[in-house]
Amino acid sequence: MLRFIGVRLVQMSLLFLVFLTLLFFLLQAQPGDFSRQFLDPNIPAENRDLIAARFGLDQPLWRQYLTYMGNILQGDLGVSFARYPRSVVSVISERLPRTFFLFTFATMLSYYLGFMLGKVLAWRRGGSQEMGITLGGVILYTVFYPWFALVMIWFFAAYLDLVPVNQFLTPIRWREAPFSANTVFASIIWSTLLLTVGLGLSLWASRKPDNLAQQRLIRWGGVGLSFALFLAFWLPSDRRTFATDIAHHAVLPIFTLALVAFAGVMLITRGSMLETLKEDYILTARAKGLAPKTIRDRHAARNALLPVTTSFVLGLAFIIGGGLITETVFSWPGMGELLLVSVQNQDIPVAIGSLAMVGALALIAHIVVDVLYVFLDPRIRYQ
Amino acid sequence: MTTPLVEDTSGLKSGQTLLEVDNLIMRYKTKQGYVSAVEDVSFVLHKGEALGLVGESGCGKTSIALSLLRLQADNGEIMGGSIKLGGKDLVPISEEEMRTHRWNDISMVFQGAMNSWNPVYRVGDQIKEALDLHWPTRLSRAEVRERIGELFALVGLPADAQDRYPHEFSGGMRQRAVIAMALSCNPQVIIADEPTTALDVIVQDQILKELKRIQDDLDMSIIYISHDIAVIAEVTDRMAVMYAGKMVEFGDTADIFSAPRHPYAWLLLSSTPSIVGPRRQLAPLEGEPPNLLDPPTGCRFNPRCPFATDQCRVEEPPLADIGGGHMVACWNYEDVPVGITAGGVA
Repeated sequence: MLRFIGVRLVQMSLLFLVFLTLLFFLLQAQPGDFSRQFLDPNIPAENRDLIAARFGLDQPLWRQYLTYMGNILQGDLGVSFARYPRSVVSVISERLPRTFFLFTFATMLSYYLGFMLGKVLAWRRGGSQEMGITLGGVILYTVFYPWFALVMIWFFAAYLDLVPVNQFLTPIRWREAPFSANTVFASIIWSTLLLTVGLGLSLWASRKPDNLAQQRLIRWGGVGLSFALFLAFWLPSDRRTFATDIAHHAVLPIFTLALVAFAGVMLITRGSMLETLKEDYILTARAKGLAPKTIRDRHAARNALLPVTTSFVLGLAFIIGGGLITETVFSWPGMGELLLVSVQNQDIPVAIGSLAMVGALALIAHIVVDVLYVFLDPRIRYQ
Repeated sequence: MTTPLVEDTSGLKSGQTLLEVDNLIMRYKTKQGYVSAVEDVSFVLHKGEALGLVGESGCGKTSIALSLLRLQADNGEIMGGSIKLGGKDLVPISEEEMRTHRWNDISMVFQGAMNSWNPVYRVGDQIKEALDLHWPTRLSRAEVRERIGELFALVGLPADAQDRYPHEFSGGMRQRAVIAMALSCNPQVIIADEPTTALDVIVQDQILKELKRIQDDLDMSIIYISHDIAVIAEVTDRMAVMYAGKMVEFGDTADIFSAPRHPYAWLLLSSTPSIVGPRRQLAPLEGEPPNLLDPPTGCRFNPRCPFATDQCRVEEPPLADIGGGHMVACWNYEDVPVGITAGGVA
């Protein structure tokens, strides 16, 4: 197992270098360079050349490539052209958590709800209710996403006025703020992450003891304790109002993303469940006299989980495309928006940096799934 | 034509009736109409007895087995008759109540026993599931392990095999474990649906001997279902021959093998080679079972029957006792030759 992970890590690193090379040349294939971006005709040609020389854009491409790769190997992603002199690493480390928060939340929500509803749909196949929900799922799954996001903004933000229209925060509230938005956001991320870990641990630990009363105690005790700690951190905190502002802005994009992703998960789960329900061991489970819910959850859904997990990884690719659209439509200053803007104004270091981050995440996700499969399916073992 | 009268050995050991099936009718509802999979089937199973159901694929053997547990497919419906277990009719009771009888009173070794295991759980845990549900007292983990160990010893598996996953077992081991699981809650009746079909002949023989031994040791009642009449001959006391959802012949296994009275049973036996007795020509059974959406009028076997008369095409023969508990549903059973197979002696 460890050896397998080691081999995969080496393979992935090589793949990553190839990926970076491709990125570098693809982005450089755009006509012109950063110094030609300024439309002002009053900028004299020698000044443009000076800018090019400062950023090394006058060097031959192969030398630029070697310099770039040399720097990457030392963990240096370079300096942003458009935000000179900020380093790419600092720009990304500001943006990445925002995207990460948005998508992790939306993905977890959509997979949880999609899986739960999908298995019930398959279990009750044939009814008119099931038909209606499946049809709704297909519509959500195939809807033109930017349009759908705009409709959501119109309905929930403009028409019902429940949530703010777009942006990451309400600037007017932050004018006198004693903290930067990033500090507050970092505590939001850490506290929700710890809350999730707490909830996960209590659910996991509650399976260990043999009797039902103890299981219940651990489960609800753990859940209660996690929430209590979460509230104990936020309620007395003077960052609370600012955190609420950010959270308020995050609701609509998370909900919209989750709704669209959820439909896909539901349909995959439904299909996978329908296959599993035909298996002989389902008949065995019924013959044993198990309750329908036990058969559905413990026998059918557990096996239907495997293809859903695979789609989970493929779903991570959705972050690249969906992130761009979501963040643009909702003016959410995350990685997607950063990528779009940096490609538009040829801020090559930031563009490669953010795409490289996406690639690295996708590669890591693949290793995680390979490992996860070992736990999900005992038939899979790596030598 | 005389029928050899053999002493009635039904209800062999105790004579105690365990399961009584009366005029059971189970049909599948399809878009084209009802498919009559089990039509008017009646039989009695005694304690300690092994009963065989034999017939071609699609003749309703498995449908009977599933009906006994009320596990027929969603479109299947029990439309008449009763299934009395220890005097209690299982047909009208609620699904929840039925669940308490499944496995606890009637358990099953399935046709695809190789695939009867859920691949993601350990074998022991899957047996534990049944024990947790049905065992009269709540067993601790250690007690469950001990119980499964006993069961495994009974079927010739090492006790620590319960910690393994199904895919780590060979086909024969999986089948043994399936039998152990079927025995786990001390059921009164075990239904073995093609218990050895997927296994090679040597393992098949071992498993059958094992089952027979366990049956004798525990004084169990087993219903064997097979298309392989050699298997039925080896392990059962009494047997039923099924054709197109109906029971066409019922009696002592020895009687039916020595002198089948229904033309279908006669042809079925004639198409099977025997390693004892004179060498003879095998006669293939011509034709196919009828379409159960629209079964032939009269006797369902009449289109394939060499002895069919006009009466057979119009009027359905009842399953009638021709002496000694040997029952046949045929108007012309006396025309069926005794001691001669359809192929004749080579």
